[in-house]
Amino acid sequence: MFKGDLLKKRQIKEFLALFSGRFVLIFINTLAFLIFCGLLLKAKPILHAISISDLLFSSSWHPMKSEFGLFVFIISTLEVTMLAMVIAIPVCLLAAIYLSEYAGRCFREFARLIIDILAGIPSVVYGLCGVLVIVPFVRAIGDFAGISTTGYSLLSGGLVLAVMVIPFIISISVEVLRMVPQPIRECALALGATKWETIKYVVLKKARRGLLAAVVLGVARAFGETMAVLMVVGNVAQLPSSIFDPAYPLPALIANNYGEVMSIPLYDAALMSAALILMFIVAIFSLTAHYTLSRIGETIER
Amino acid sequence: MKSRKLEENIFKFLMAVSLFLVFLALAGIVLVVAMKGLSSLNLSMITQTPKGGYYLGKEGGIANAIIGSLYLIAGATILSLIVSLPVALALQKDYLSRRFADFTRLVLDILWGTPSIVYGAFGFVIMVYFGLRASLLGGIIVLTLLMIPIMSRAMDEAIRLVPFELKEMSYALGTTKIETTLAVVLRQAFPGLCTAVILAFGRGIGDAASILFTAGYTDEIPRSLLDPVASLPLAVFFQAGTPVPEVQARAFAAALILLFIVMIINIIARILGWRFSKNIVR
Amino acid sequence: MVFLKRINRKLNFVILVAVVAAFFKYDFFLPVSAVAAPAAQETSVEGKIRVSGAWALYPMMVRWAEEFKKIHPQVRIDVSAGGAGKGVTDALSGLVDIGMVSRELRPEEIKQNAFYIPVVKDAVFPTINAGNPVLKEIFQKGLKKKALQDLWVSGQNLTWGQLAGSTNNQKIRVYTRSDSCGAGETWAKYLGAKQEDLKGVAVYGDPGVAQAVRKDKTGIGYNNLNYAYDMKTGQPMDGFQVAPIDVNENGRVDPGERLRTKQEAIKAVLSGSYPSPPARDLYLIAKDSFKGASKVFVNWILTDGQKYVEEVGYLKISAKQIKDALDKTGK
Repeated sequence: MFKGDLLKKRQIKEFLALFSGRFVLIFINTLAFLIFCGLLLKAKPILHAISISDLLFSSSWHPMKSEFGLFVFIISTLEVTMLAMVIAIPVCLLAAIYLSEYAGRCFREFARLIIDILAGIPSVVYGLCGVLVIVPFVRAIGDFAGISTTGYSLLSGGLVLAVMVIPFIISISVEVLRMVPQPIRECALALGATKWETIKYVVLKKARRGLLAAVVLGVARAFGETMAVLMVVGNVAQLPSSIFDPAYPLPALIANNYGEVMSIPLYDAALMSAALILMFIVAIFSLTAHYTLSRIGETIER
Repeated sequence: MKSRKLEENIFKFLMAVSLFLVFLALAGIVLVVAMKGLSSLNLSMITQTPKGGYYLGKEGGIANAIIGSLYLIAGATILSLIVSLPVALALQKDYLSRRFADFTRLVLDILWGTPSIVYGAFGFVIMVYFGLRASLLGGIIVLTLLMIPIMSRAMDEAIRLVPFELKEMSYALGTTKIETTLAVVLRQAFPGLCTAVILAFGRGIGDAASILFTAGYTDEIPRSLLDPVASLPLAVFFQAGTPVPEVQARAFAAALILLFIVMIINIIARILGWRFSKNIVR
Repeated sequence: MVFLKRINRKLNFVILVAVVAAFFKYDFFLPVSAVAAPAAQETSVEGKIRVSGAWALYPMMVRWAEEFKKIHPQVRIDVSAGGAGKGVTDALSGLVDIGMVSRELRPEEIKQNAFYIPVVKDAVFPTINAGNPVLKEIFQKGLKKKALQDLWVSGQNLTWGQLAGSTNNQKIRVYTRSDSCGAGETWAKYLGAKQEDLKGVAVYGDPGVAQAVRKDKTGIGYNNLNYAYDMKTGQPMDGFQVAPIDVNENGRVDPGERLRTKQEAIKAVLSGSYPSPPARDLYLIAKDSFKGASKVFVNWILTDGQKYVEEVGYLKISAKQIKDALDKTGK
């Protein structure tokens, strides 16, 4: 009878665990849904006032005249994030590979400490440092290349974002790479591959899913970063014609104006709709990333 | 063979360059902050609250912000842990259908990509609706919302990395799923879980936009959950916005203090991670 | 043996919990510094006053709060910024007792029973780099309003030579504020537009624009009084100069239009030779009226509090405005 009781207890525990697992997930989804609904509610007035295609595709942003075209901001957001990713991804990947494959344990932990500290720096500080260091740097590059720029530009925004996103991607990438089982590497080496070939053909393949997750997390962070970007990007509501031109991403738009326009419902609604559009962009991006992964063949859940 | 070696060396060089750039970025930031802030850093800054005219250059310190930030982040981390760990565990294949899990992951990704000011705005609207005032409680809740996505996702990734052979071995011994999870998976994924907490912590302690509207700001240390609370990022923000150069330098000193706190917590978390990961299979 | 270990673990846990609880319950981190013995002039006011709103008023309000607390040590005043819009929303929804506003109130806001009084004046001045190539000419001739409109509203690509009447052909780089703010709104009003219409690279915050102009020899921007002049010396901030506006359009800068030091600027605003806008009143706002402790506070601001105004770097409002405000709030 002792055995029977124990089995029952374990079964009950198992059932409770499954139940609370489902419950917690439903809770999280409900929470997200509530946030989404809340935003939608606040954005409704604007959707009644102008059509969706106007909101998304018009380049004219004059809230006082009730013109709310977000096209410029959407493009700016995409451009600045893409620029940041182009800079950040190669750097992160290479650094993560080095840290997990070539570096000794002490150096690795030390490097991780430094990178974690980078992750904890407040965005205001990044912004201040960006203004002090990156803006003059970009201006100098511009002068050198013969382009007139104030330094407050797409490039500055991209650089600052890249630095902010790097710690996240590296942290998770290193974790992912470290967890690739050692026997796999040994197999490849036994077959005559060099260390680099092992990494290139075996380790990276195995870690693909995790690495992509790291990149997606980094990109999502880049999309959502507000303060640091708005201090260096120039905030001009025009499509930038080069990376030395100022740009105006969506989070900057929200942050610049939110405190002031709470008393004007239509402007407020427009900003909330900007937030919704941003969430939508992140969703599309995340879906694309996962879809690509499943096409490559990493469907097996290991 | 030569070309293979060459390729390896080229990439090794690129890797070294990348790592160097990353370190350079951090060194650059720390240097800039230190150069501008070290001169204003002194003991009274850490131990005193602002006295009259602090934002205009007079005496006092930012103890209110330091303690406020610690209160906020402690509360938020505990709450997010309570929510994120079960979520991350529940997302594993063993527990429910892949579609629901993938959908939740997508939702979490979207939440993670939402700018923090939207959380602040959302929290503020809710607080206005309920007639609540900006307070420590409001700040903690908004920070928790901010931290949950990254903590859950990172924990989820860490737990997914546990080799499934380990789990199968455990099942072969006759354990139930939950027992396996608790006894085997969690222990194996522990360093990854620590990383997740550290990342979330970094995001939470440094964020200004979300608590600007929900936690308020005050020159005193909150005595209850319903008092407004100062925080270090806001202290940096406000001080950087004053017209007095000495106070602007103090903003950098506050940033330095924040960096220092982050560093210490990171070290502690990493040490805890090492101590508990003795039996990890690699 | 096992029994002892268990007790040990439990004990550790209990101690940990006790420490954490103590930490949260008592502020034992904070060494209480002695406050100078207050001379209680009236019956001490008690309670909480919550203030939030415009950045423009923030330093002033912080000072007022501190001075008021010296007289009434039982009062607890919490001041936070967040923008004039937040101040209005907070005040009108009852979340704070006093809202700080750095712009004119909008009709929709007034309709919601907004009760507001002016407390100080502030002004926005055009600023240029101290190494500007045509600095001398600008100081002699001043800037015309039309030129400013060309720069900020119609967005024309002018050179410094065109502005100052010389042969210099360096392009002017225009800066403006990215955040919706009273300064931007006022400057735009002066030029006959709205802040959203202002052209130029937009930088965040008053110090941000100052920083941008300071680093750019061909730059021009605008700043509040406090950010344009050093608070202690009254001279323009390092690397910076304030460009005088040729208000009467006579082609040169008259003594009344000079803005070389803070004193001159203050005089120009108060005498009216610097136009309003871009000089403006800053307001405090509440729903229906100020009550309780905040009423005492506001009355104090309008009377004794005025003596700190110039020290902190603002302009006093006229005696008539003070009288009107006091009448409005009632005694």
